[in-house]
Amino acid sequence: MKKHSATLSTLGIFVILAAAAPWLVGDGGVALLFEVLLMLTMAQLWNLLAGYTGLVSMGLQCFVGLGGYTTIFAANTFSVSPYWVLPLAPLVCGLIGAVSAPFLFRLRDAYFSISTWVFAEVVAMLVFITPGLGHVTGMTLETAREIDYETFLLANFWIAAALAAGVVTGIFALLQSPLGLGLLSVRDDDVAAASIGVNVWRNRFIAYVAAAAGCGLAGGISFMAALFITVTTAFDLNWVVAMIFTVIIGGIGTLEGPIVGVAIYYGIRALLTNVFALSGSWYLVTLGAIAVITMLVAPRGIWPFIRDRFGIELLRVSRKLVDDLPHAETNAITSKTTANSRFLDYGSD
Amino acid sequence: MGWTGTIVNGVLLGGLYGLFGVGLALVFGVTRIVNIMHGEFIALSAFIALGVSSLLPDVHPLVLIMPVVIVSFALGYALQAVLVNRSMRLPDPLAPLLLTFGLSVIVRNLMIEGFGVNPRHIRQGDFGQLSIDVFGIPVGVLPVVTLMLAVTLFVILQLLLRRTELGRIVRATADNAEIVRLMGVRPASVYNIVMGLSFALAGVAGLMLALRTTFTPFSGVERLLISFEVVVMGGLGSFWGAMLAGIALGVAQLVGLRLNPNSGFLYANLVFFAFVMLRPNGLFGTRQ
Repeated sequence: MKKHSATLSTLGIFVILAAAAPWLVGDGGVALLFEVLLMLTMAQLWNLLAGYTGLVSMGLQCFVGLGGYTTIFAANTFSVSPYWVLPLAPLVCGLIGAVSAPFLFRLRDAYFSISTWVFAEVVAMLVFITPGLGHVTGMTLETAREIDYETFLLANFWIAAALAAGVVTGIFALLQSPLGLGLLSVRDDDVAAASIGVNVWRNRFIAYVAAAAGCGLAGGISFMAALFITVTTAFDLNWVVAMIFTVIIGGIGTLEGPIVGVAIYYGIRALLTNVFALSGSWYLVTLGAIAVITMLVAPRGIWPFIRDRFGIELLRVSRKLVDDLPHAETNAITSKTTANSRFLDYGSD
Repeated sequence: MGWTGTIVNGVLLGGLYGLFGVGLALVFGVTRIVNIMHGEFIALSAFIALGVSSLLPDVHPLVLIMPVVIVSFALGYALQAVLVNRSMRLPDPLAPLLLTFGLSVIVRNLMIEGFGVNPRHIRQGDFGQLSIDVFGIPVGVLPVVTLMLAVTLFVILQLLLRRTELGRIVRATADNAEIVRLMGVRPASVYNIVMGLSFALAGVAGLMLALRTTFTPFSGVERLLISFEVVVMGGLGSFWGAMLAGIALGVAQLVGLRLNPNSGFLYANLVFFAFVMLRPNGLFGTRQ
């Protein structure tokens, strides 16, 4: 399979670059890339929800914060290295995502978005008033002192790189599977999808729990590296604002979109704050202006705009009807929807 | 101050919350746009009111309503005409939401650059602190005025929509924008007016907020959440629903703060959740 070898070689190049990064870009570069990779992970997860299942969440910061608190609290409580308890972050977040989803899914569209934000605020406030979680002063990761700082930085970077690669590959693989086809159909028209036998609720549930767990892990890594956590930074609305920004600028509902968006997000920051020495608020004004212009000129985002102009497709998840589809189940769905090719080949309209 | 006082003050605070939400409910009801900028505009109006009051220092704060309403209406009208209508032509329903999202980030950060992040307040003599005694409960004059103003504006809005030519056109456009075209109405012009009205209401809310408390460029985000909750609880496009939702949130917040001074908006958020789980379409949502 040509497609698979291309994917594997891309992954291989990423692994080599990530492994060599400390020698290629130095400590400052590694610190920046660490941030970029975590942002990319979160943006891909927001995109999985909003771009593929139509769940526009404004509350993913809830899981970023919970992941951070879980990791630091567990490491301090059990007096172990944070790496041992890091898996708890996605576990706790996935669980809370799974428990809250049936309630949040009762609400649709904008109501869902607003309720996820309210949910995040409630969780933040509960963490704030729970004794033993630091209240206003926050919590410091005490067990990190035993680890050599240089090693700690590098290890964190590699974990973040692995997470980003894992999430992108995972979503890529998911979208190629029958379940992914179901997700794409839910995105395009949930009523039509349901009518041909796609379990809309289950697809959304899986995507939501995956996004919760993924954001939890990203939050855990982020705050483990920061060595310190407070409610204001952990449950900051800006987490989800950044995810939304990168995805809509780059291109919602595409795998490449968030990558382009994250590159622009950090590229503009470097340009404005380092080269032009402007303040952070001018940076955000610029980002806002880019988002507004993107919405007016290329509302599907920069990546789809470029792709349609030049016909490039890097991580192809759209399906052509002539393809020899490997799964019987996929074929069954395909044959029912041949009348509407846009349904399957989303990329070319 | 006993529990009765807490509840009375919660109801009065609810008047302000209802005012936050009603403009958003209007736009949502007519254009189906979730205007993320609404909160930023409430904060911006507070700054506009501050600017006007420093130009006219001897004028009673409540007289500021007129200039604030006019400026806000013009801004809302222009915003809809220049930017939002463009994005509404696109097939993607997310486009206007994301457009206002981008605008909200621009407006907030321009306010940070222009006005700084220190809390501001409007100098207004002792009007903000005035309080009267009703059956032994001290009640602030300003909150009472706010609630009365909110109710008055709701009545005016209701009359405007139910009894006038413009109101009929707005309601018809909300029901079916394609059909009103056949009757010679341009939906885009209707949306301009609706956004103008929504901004005017947000402007009044911002003014009342500025009179009540200190504010910063960050005040908008918090108010956006309250506005959202009011709209969702009240039901689509329902103004009395918005008013009652505001009151429910105001009472829940003050009762919650009395139970636990650290809880902030927690109890109001919990009331919101309990409510939407029981009635996912809002208080008066079944009508639409």
